[in-house]
Amino acid sequence: MSDELIIQIQDVVFSYDATTTLNGVRFDCMRGEFLGLIGPNGSGKTTLLRCMNGLLKPNTGVILLMGNQISKMKLTEIAKVCAGVPTEVPEDFNINVEDYVYLGRYPHVEGFWWEREKDEKVVEDAIATFSIDHLRKRKLFELSSGEKERVLLAKAVVQEPKVLLVDEPSAHLDLKYKLEIMERLHELSRLGITVVCASHDINLLIKYCDRVIIMKSGKIVTCGKPDEIMTEKLIRDVYEVEAMVMRNGGEIFAIPKRTLKQGEMP
Amino acid sequence: MAQSTTRNNRRRLGLILAMGAVSLLILFFFSLTFDVPGLTFTGAIEALVGYLSKYPDGPYTVNEIIVGGLYFPRAIAVIGVGMALSVAGAVMQALIRNPLVDPYITGTSSGAALGATMIMLAGFTIAGAGIFTIPIAAFLGALIAFMITLLLAEASGGRALNYVLAGIVVGTALSSVVSLLLILGGNNVHGVLFWLFGSFANIRLDEAIIIIVPTIFLSAAVLVYARELNVILLGHEQAWQLGVNSRSFKRLMMVITALLTGIAVAFTGIIAFLGLIVPHISRILVGGDHRLLLPASMVLGANILLIADLAARSFTVGELPVGILISLIGAPFFGYLLVRRGREYVG
Repeated sequence: MSDELIIQIQDVVFSYDATTTLNGVRFDCMRGEFLGLIGPNGSGKTTLLRCMNGLLKPNTGVILLMGNQISKMKLTEIAKVCAGVPTEVPEDFNINVEDYVYLGRYPHVEGFWWEREKDEKVVEDAIATFSIDHLRKRKLFELSSGEKERVLLAKAVVQEPKVLLVDEPSAHLDLKYKLEIMERLHELSRLGITVVCASHDINLLIKYCDRVIIMKSGKIVTCGKPDEIMTEKLIRDVYEVEAMVMRNGGEIFAIPKRTLKQGEMP
Repeated sequence: MAQSTTRNNRRRLGLILAMGAVSLLILFFFSLTFDVPGLTFTGAIEALVGYLSKYPDGPYTVNEIIVGGLYFPRAIAVIGVGMALSVAGAVMQALIRNPLVDPYITGTSSGAALGATMIMLAGFTIAGAGIFTIPIAAFLGALIAFMITLLLAEASGGRALNYVLAGIVVGTALSSVVSLLLILGGNNVHGVLFWLFGSFANIRLDEAIIIIVPTIFLSAAVLVYARELNVILLGHEQAWQLGVNSRSFKRLMMVITALLTGIAVAFTGIIAFLGLIVPHISRILVGGDHRLLLPASMVLGANILLIADLAARSFTVGELPVGILISLIGAPFFGYLLVRRGREYVG
């Protein structure tokens, strides 16, 4: 991780209609940082990710992507810097794995119609890195969830992003693949890609992320290194759940115990 | 990496176009001499050249009238309509992300037919549009019908079958209005059949040119956007992440599909299911990449419709509207897709 600023979020306010979804969110991301977004449903994690690639326009506030105001950037310029890893592959069309991964090259292809050799090399490298060579001609809907996850990452990586926005990567995965995708994302961040990952799985995020942002009701509650900010009180305040926070060597775990009763609410 | 994927695709594209063009050329000349006793290929070419060199004043020989005045415009129109409906079908399927649609199923063709018949019965000409009046009316009818279908389908849930059902509602309603208008307007049932089942009999050379030239330009325009069509299959959010605003792109593609449908319907009536069958067969042959799928659909659509038209001409009891033949194949094919794909995609 270097101290080069990649994303700056400055006092962003966003509302879908009457209710405010993001209310004065402000933070910075460094180059190569692995940042986790933690918060209950409706806390604004997904909305924040959507603002960060320009899909949603904040009512007020500014988002800078490598120093440029995202609201003034062209869509293709954003796509050259910022890639997304969705929760699921699209399964409703007969796309095969190879074609899908090639689509990640879309913003970079300089030829009028066809990918150039340079593009093919990037795609082939990603196919090798994520060990999906044997899946090339398979349809997306035929893949197992672990295979889908690797295909999603390969497609994101061929986009050669500086920023990777990941929304709920582990929702449908079993334990092994949950860990595998977090390990892969961590490796990518060490290669200099800034990874911003929203998830419900607190333990996965605090295990792998350099820094976590805790959100509730569209606001940032706190932000910092997991072992510095994770406390039982924080989880109680944010999730309304009584939990135990344990430390073992350098590691930290949150173990939920029970929901809070009426009258115990923070 | 065994072989360059891109180079492989380019080679396949070349092969598709070459094979399609050769078979189209053979069918084209065959359709010029078809049913004319004693006419050879060279005789047909001579007659065609003779007709075109004297066009439009004449006087022509009998062979020149048959080949140049009847069969040549007919073949050109068939090729144009085959291409137009197939491209429109392939684009609609990407646009709606739904393999069960084409210009007929979405009611777009019926909208075009209504636009064209209304203008024809009113005897009305759009100032300065001349012979383009009917295609323009058909385009507007197609666009409005397509938009109504999309609104209905999205309001009712936006799943694959909602588009089919909304299209049936719009298509049936508009086709009924076409029939009603024609009968009230004093047309015989034959005129109604022409609009509802499509036919290439009696097409004129100027009409054929109004079909083929815009179709080629519009198809080329769609080809320019082949990569964007690949991207919008991923849905709005993922397309955005790759740098494509699918909402504005879809509006452009809606207008192009309505134009293609309007041109295809204006002079030859409604030909059902062609825009559904052709992209599906093409997808089986070349896969889902629109850089291969669109060219394959173009040549395949032209070839299939030319064969169907020859078959329609060869009925001894009198000529059939070619749309009936295509529907005889298309309807069961659609049923098969409903069973197989419906289960796969709806949900």
